[in-house]
Amino acid sequence: MFKNIRFFKRDNTVEKVVDLNHQRVFILPTNKGLSFLVLIAILFLIAFVYNNNLCYLLAFLLSSIFLISILHSYQSIFGLRLELIGCNKVFAGEMAEVNLLLSNPGNIDRVNLNIGFSKSNKLSLGKQKQKKLTFFLFVEKRGWHRMNKIVISSTYPFGFFTVWSPIRFSKKYLAYPALASDNCPLPMMDIEESVEEELMNSSIAGGDDFYGLKTYQDGDAIKQIDWKSFAKGQGLYIKQFQKNATASNQQLWLDYDFTTASDLEEKLSQLCRWVVDAEKQGLDYGFSLPGFSLQPSHGLNHYQQCLEALALYRPVVID
Amino acid sequence: METEIDRRIIIFILASVALIVLPHSGHIPISLLVFFYSLLIWRFCVLWDKKWIPKKWLVSLLSAIAIYQLYSLNQGVFGRDAGTSIFITALGLKILESNKEQDFYLVSYLAFVVASSQFLYSQSILMLGYILFVTCSLFAALITLNTKNNDAKPAIKKILTMTAQAIPITVLLFFMFPRIDPPDWLLFNQQNTAVSGLSDTLRPGSISKLGFSHDLVFRAKFKGKIPPVQDLYWRGPVFSQTDGLNWTETNNRHFLRQMDKLVTYGQPSHYTVMMEPQDGHWIFTLDMPTVYPQKLIKNGLFQLLNPTKPKKRKQYEITSFLKFNTGKLTDTEYSDNTQLPAQPMPEVTQLVNELKGDNDSAQFLISAIFHHFKNNDFSYTLNPPVMEINPIETFLFKARSGFCGHYATAFVYLLRVANIPARVVSGYQGGSINKVGNFLEIKQSDAHAWAEVWLENKGWVRFDPTSAVAPDQFSEQNLESSTAEKQKNFEIIENKNLFNRWVTRAGDVWSNMDYEWQQWIIHYRGEKQSKFLSSWGITGIKSMFYWLTVLVFFMLGLFTWVILRNQKTNIDKVLMTYQRFCDSLAKVGVIKRKAETAHDFALRAKQLRPDLANNISLITWSYINLQYKKDSGIDDFKAFKKQVNSFKA
Amino acid sequence: MDVNLSTLFDSANQVILGKEHQIKLAVCCLLARGHLLIEDIPGVGKTTLSHTLAKLLGLDYQRIQFTSDIMPADIIGSSIFNASKSEFTFHPGPIFNQMVLADEINRATPRAQSALLEAMEENQVTVEGVSYDLPSPFFVIATQNPSHQLGTFSLPESQLDRFLMRIQLGYPDQQAERNLLTGVDRRFIIDELQVMLPPERLSQMQNEITGIYTSPALLDYVQALINFTRESDEFNYGLSPRAGLALLTAAKSWAYMKGGDAVLPEDVQTVLPAVAGHRLKSSNSNSDLVVESLLQHVEVS
Repeated sequence: MFKNIRFFKRDNTVEKVVDLNHQRVFILPTNKGLSFLVLIAILFLIAFVYNNNLCYLLAFLLSSIFLISILHSYQSIFGLRLELIGCNKVFAGEMAEVNLLLSNPGNIDRVNLNIGFSKSNKLSLGKQKQKKLTFFLFVEKRGWHRMNKIVISSTYPFGFFTVWSPIRFSKKYLAYPALASDNCPLPMMDIEESVEEELMNSSIAGGDDFYGLKTYQDGDAIKQIDWKSFAKGQGLYIKQFQKNATASNQQLWLDYDFTTASDLEEKLSQLCRWVVDAEKQGLDYGFSLPGFSLQPSHGLNHYQQCLEALALYRPVVID
Repeated sequence: METEIDRRIIIFILASVALIVLPHSGHIPISLLVFFYSLLIWRFCVLWDKKWIPKKWLVSLLSAIAIYQLYSLNQGVFGRDAGTSIFITALGLKILESNKEQDFYLVSYLAFVVASSQFLYSQSILMLGYILFVTCSLFAALITLNTKNNDAKPAIKKILTMTAQAIPITVLLFFMFPRIDPPDWLLFNQQNTAVSGLSDTLRPGSISKLGFSHDLVFRAKFKGKIPPVQDLYWRGPVFSQTDGLNWTETNNRHFLRQMDKLVTYGQPSHYTVMMEPQDGHWIFTLDMPTVYPQKLIKNGLFQLLNPTKPKKRKQYEITSFLKFNTGKLTDTEYSDNTQLPAQPMPEVTQLVNELKGDNDSAQFLISAIFHHFKNNDFSYTLNPPVMEINPIETFLFKARSGFCGHYATAFVYLLRVANIPARVVSGYQGGSINKVGNFLEIKQSDAHAWAEVWLENKGWVRFDPTSAVAPDQFSEQNLESSTAEKQKNFEIIENKNLFNRWVTRAGDVWSNMDYEWQQWIIHYRGEKQSKFLSSWGITGIKSMFYWLTVLVFFMLGLFTWVILRNQKTNIDKVLMTYQRFCDSLAKVGVIKRKAETAHDFALRAKQLRPDLANNISLITWSYINLQYKKDSGIDDFKAFKKQVNSFKA
Repeated sequence: MDVNLSTLFDSANQVILGKEHQIKLAVCCLLARGHLLIEDIPGVGKTTLSHTLAKLLGLDYQRIQFTSDIMPADIIGSSIFNASKSEFTFHPGPIFNQMVLADEINRATPRAQSALLEAMEENQVTVEGVSYDLPSPFFVIATQNPSHQLGTFSLPESQLDRFLMRIQLGYPDQQAERNLLTGVDRRFIIDELQVMLPPERLSQMQNEITGIYTSPALLDYVQALINFTRESDEFNYGLSPRAGLALLTAAKSWAYMKGGDAVLPEDVQTVLPAVAGHRLKSSNSNSDLVVESLLQHVEVS
């Protein structure tokens, strides 16, 4: 209900940590609270008509409890601290994970809290306790996204009042383009063959990194047998080498122009898939979008740079 | 969306509601009570098995039955009983069909109305305590309902805290909220709950029934000294006419104006009479009332009457002069008060002549009759033999034992035979003093009858023939032990038994509490309120509202502070105090860096300000102890706070 | 400070010149039951340090020189067929010692490395389905050449996490260098060292350390530090919960060494570079700077 009140929509975003103080906590009576007022009015009427002081007393008591319950409602979320731990980067079409830390620095138990973005979840928090909360937000499009408003609310104790605090974190989160389906192989340029060939040579050249030994099995290359250990009478082993990408002069380019899809978003999706696959396989890959390119490399930084470029890509419109 | 409400929560609510309705069992029709509790039990059954859920048509049928029942009770729509019945019926029906959260909220609200209606039947302290208890219980049930937490303990704790905080505001509202008397047309016909007291017909024997009753009739609080006991005759019905068997009041009592002028002398006695609900119109006052509330009527029998029967406790400010002269008798009075049912029997005439002898003076005859009662084996008893035929003659010549009614009627009869105007006055005599509250409590057992004789130059004069036989009114052998404390004089018997004394004392305390309760709670309205508030300098509705608002907001502010202040933990407090220390250093240019620990900061600060080195060390040491070391208590914090407060950079 | 500890430091400082802080950190690490990683160029005294500590603590000491062809069996031992008994008997490897110096760990293949690291983690070794417990106490001091040197397999992050601390020795200062050049051969001094802290006392101390008090305020500070690494964009990965525990344990140990009964923020600050440096991977390669900026950004509570 209160979400639609314009007045409360004013922008007061927070960076990371927010303490629910009097500026952030709002309070309004609920329908139950309003009908309780009607009840109090009825009690007053009875007291008035019969001129009965004890009826007055009961009406006064109920009014006082109603007034006091404002404070107790307010107290139920007042002083809580909400901290944005972070949100992971996500591919469009997936759920972004938002991690929050809700802590209760006060020395009263908080029961009956509701917290959530669009749907609220119930929880309670003991005194001086904190709880890590994880929310999932569905992300439709790539690019920067503002975080939705998160609302902490409570109707404790009687449900006569609802207190709430809308919080919008200023931190934005990045959504990469949607991942294309698996069946788009990397634009390899005969890479399989050349790698294999290199492996064949490597044992002779000895230039590649030794990885370890493996018991010989039929079909293994004779060239790779570790003759030294055989001579010691330890049995037949073959040497294994780690494929060292830097040594390879093979270059993989993930280029916007290589994509097969027709529409821009689909092309980006395909590129995205390629980047993910290439990184998974530990290959060095160059990356190129119209107006943006990265030299072949691998690793987290490179990977993230590519994905960021994809997420934020805007085609240049030429007249 | 709505999840099912836990069974235990519903039980909590239903139990609270059942408790709220319970005190009504004394005063609502039994059929209604059965109807309500059946519905409640039905709802309990639904908890155990869903198949008991009533069908729609069944609920409609039950509603129809309920309406028929209400109709047949013939109570109408308005008024206390009708309203109560309607609310209880509605509550029962609502309980049966309650399922969702809102339903139970409505049930609770209805229950609060029913709780309020309890006060229309009883306004005792006990009832208030009971209603307070069930109200808390119902609120606690509401908390469990709202939180969906079936553990009642935190809810009960919460409501107790809240009630404790609400009570000061309630008290404030109670005393300061302006009371306005409702207009008359709003006063619905209220059922008479008054206890029956003195009857308007005296028939020897009828007062005796009251002799044992300890029901309170009225209280009297004197401004100043309580008059001596021989003056404490509280005037009630005055009986002038008799048919030999019954004595009744005369109809000729409205001629006060034609009567002679009343002359009063001596010191007036000011007192407040607080009457319990009464059956009759009489306001019991001491002779002779001169100042009294305007709505009361004083008639030719010198009675004070309330034209409307006081259904509720009411109190009246009265001033009486104990010494007076009513002056001459009118003809009507004379004939009324010398009236005899028939020619007296010869024995009676003979007795009167014997007693009178040669002396014609009324005074002489009166003292002769007193002597006659005293010297001829007349005795006092509350259980006299039956005297159905010719009661006066039987009493005078055969039974020779009886109580005040017998003596008074016989006395008056004898005087009338001698043609002396006399009449029987009934009312209450004496009373027991409440030492705690210093007021008199007059109970039904204090009922009495005495005589009034008109004497030349003196007017109507009171004589109590009973005192001739029982100076203590009740002779000991006939005394029930429970009436022992009631004495003609107020001297509390110094009881040898400590326990009994304490019981008496406790009884006094309770009576006094009840008296103050009546004074300050039940009757706190209108005039009383404005009087009380003006003693605080608050006069007029406007300033009442003004002060009420100011004080309520002040209290709310106080509670806001109390409630929201608790939020800070110890760590925060220590940190804040330390921050003050840092701030005062910052003012002189020694600024603590973010990453600097207290110890490092202290080292640096001491270098910059060697003059403060000692204090800085001390405060830092305390801070580190409080913040990081085990076993630091509140005293350490206080010491730390002191150090910081006295620190000046 | 405990008498045993101060004599221990005195003796150690006579052997290794001008490295008081590093020695303290190393002992702190051992007291906290952690393993130590020393990262530096060859020849600055890594081996001497570990040897000295072993001597002073009276622990069995074995050095394992890691090379590119070292096999797991060379570290943990192997089962060898005993012809006379017709059965395999297990011959324990060098790891079955109370203090093991794993020299130049990053020259070995990942496979050999992981054999060691698994032993460190589990405190036991499993060979052909039979588990053998390692001695107690069990310390590993691993040394590592800077990763940019040739022929190295740098330890993956997951493995680095298993070392409680990483310290760097660095070149000695001018005075220490001169003393070193003119003084007696270090090896002779080491040979003559006496046990300063017997193992029973060591384990007693280790137990006492667990009882050091950490106040809520201090925990707040530690959490703030950890949270900062997780949230800040400066770090690729924040500190793991294990790292948080390690930080607290190390700080407790440091507080104990100082003779305190509760951890103070300065204790945390002191051990933080050693505990967090190797765990925080940053775009900025100099881990010292990273830790320094972490300290600067988080307010002491």
